[in-house]
Amino acid sequence: MSGDPTSSMGFTLKIWRQSAPDAKGTMETYHVADVSPDMSFLEMLDVLNESLIGEGREPVAFDHDCREGICGACSLVIDGQAHGPETETTVCQLHMRHYSDGATIHIEPFRANAFPVLKDLVIDRSAFDRIIAEGGFISTHTGSAPDANAITVAKDLAERAMDAAACIGCGACVAACPNSAAMLFVGAKVSHLALLPQGQAERNRRGLAMVARMDQEGFGNCTNHFECMAACPKGISVENIARLNRELLRGALAPRRV
Amino acid sequence: MGLTGLLLVGFLIEHLLGNFKLLEDSTGEAFNEYVLWLKSFGPLLQLAELGLAALFLCHIALALRLTLENLAARKQKYVVRGTHGEKTPGSVTMFITGALITGYLVKHLLDFRFDERYFEDPAAFVKLTLSQPQHGLAYLMAAFVVGLHLSHGFRSAFQSLGLSHPALNAYLQKLGIAIAVLFATGFAVFPLYFLFAWNGPAR
Ligand code: HEM
Ligand code: FES
Repeated sequence: MSGDPTSSMGFTLKIWRQSAPDAKGTMETYHVADVSPDMSFLEMLDVLNESLIGEGREPVAFDHDCREGICGACSLVIDGQAHGPETETTVCQLHMRHYSDGATIHIEPFRANAFPVLKDLVIDRSAFDRIIAEGGFISTHTGSAPDANAITVAKDLAERAMDAAACIGCGACVAACPNSAAMLFVGAKVSHLALLPQGQAERNRRGLAMVARMDQEGFGNCTNHFECMAACPKGISVENIARLNRELLRGALAPRRV
Repeated sequence: MGLTGLLLVGFLIEHLLGNFKLLEDSTGEAFNEYVLWLKSFGPLLQLAELGLAALFLCHIALALRLTLENLAARKQKYVVRGTHGEKTPGSVTMFITGALITGYLVKHLLDFRFDERYFEDPAAFVKLTLSQPQHGLAYLMAAFVVGLHLSHGFRSAFQSLGLSHPALNAYLQKLGIAIAVLFATGFAVFPLYFLFAWNGPAR
């Protein structure tokens, strides 16, 4: 993989190393060479790890899965930016040609109490799963695939629901938020169901239940900095947070059986 | 938070309009009449004052809880702190500007509302106070701080209340900045005028 010498790059990396969840972490400095500009950021870390393993040293732990920008596993804060400098781009889709040769790059995990570090750059995002378990689903029997247009959905609603459903649950919104709030994630999940007919049955309790869980998990409160939207690799809009706020009001005012 | 904030903005509008009575004439009669008019409401005025105090206390209590929770939500800070370009000077200083407003509010009440001399001749007393540099400059700063708070707060309140529409948000953003500039300059007019352009008490 090491490219031809004319196009090979080298970097100084300052990487967060932390041996265990309760261990104290520090930034450590590494040098990586023979990086092709066409490599992704994760492939650049693979090169580093190959050389660390060759030297008998502990490789840097980082999360990844699909490497094509759809799973939401990769999760690095690069020079203070969640998923790095490119807009609407996950770390696995960020390419080294965006950096200049010889640059120093700082790499940290997504940081929030609700996302504890497991090892180095790997965090535990199961708090998101527990939020989803509180209401990010529908409980109607869907059966086999229905005929197209059996349930009519206005095109603009379908589009907006689809935009919200694009959330891959990576947690960059939390990482980028000065308050470690998870409102963009919850807003997206609540929105995509609230906008569709299938999501109506649990609509009034969904937002309240998910936000209660979100608070319980120790996420912060949204104060509308809008950093989340700019960090989101899927371009989820803060419009979904406003909708979540409306859903909370609607849920709070809804008549309920005592 | 959003509701109390916007209600406070409503109060500020009334307050600023009242202040302009100061500049209506050089004798201060217009302003004094306005003060008397407010007083003529008697118990209603006291009720309004209590309501306003409660509003401030609610806003401050909510702000405290919000800020403490947010500070606690990330114990291990980033080594390199970056931005994605959306934070603003107003948005990152909400608690600081809020705390400054609280301090200034106490001073403001002690200066006027709870000073016996104020009610003898309100207009003259305000003018005299503001023309002294130590007071005038404090009020000038306060005007700026309120503006900074609102440069984020106004727009933010709509979003918090769920009032958002793609076609309107850009205007709301601009309106927020306009309101911030309006209040900052509006309130700054008085210390500036009485510090620099005023010829002293009319003889
Ligand atoms: C002249 C008086 C004040 C006005 C007009 C005002 C207005 C506002 C508005 C409109 C908001 C936005 C609410 C939201 O987004 O939901 C806000 C938020 C806030 N205010 Fe005030 N406020 C005032 C005084 C204070 C005081 C005395 C404090 C004391 C600490 C304070 C602290 C805060 C904080 C911490 C926030 C939330 C931060 C954020 O949304 O980023 N404010 N204020
Ligand atoms: S590894 Fe799947 S999105 Fe990056």
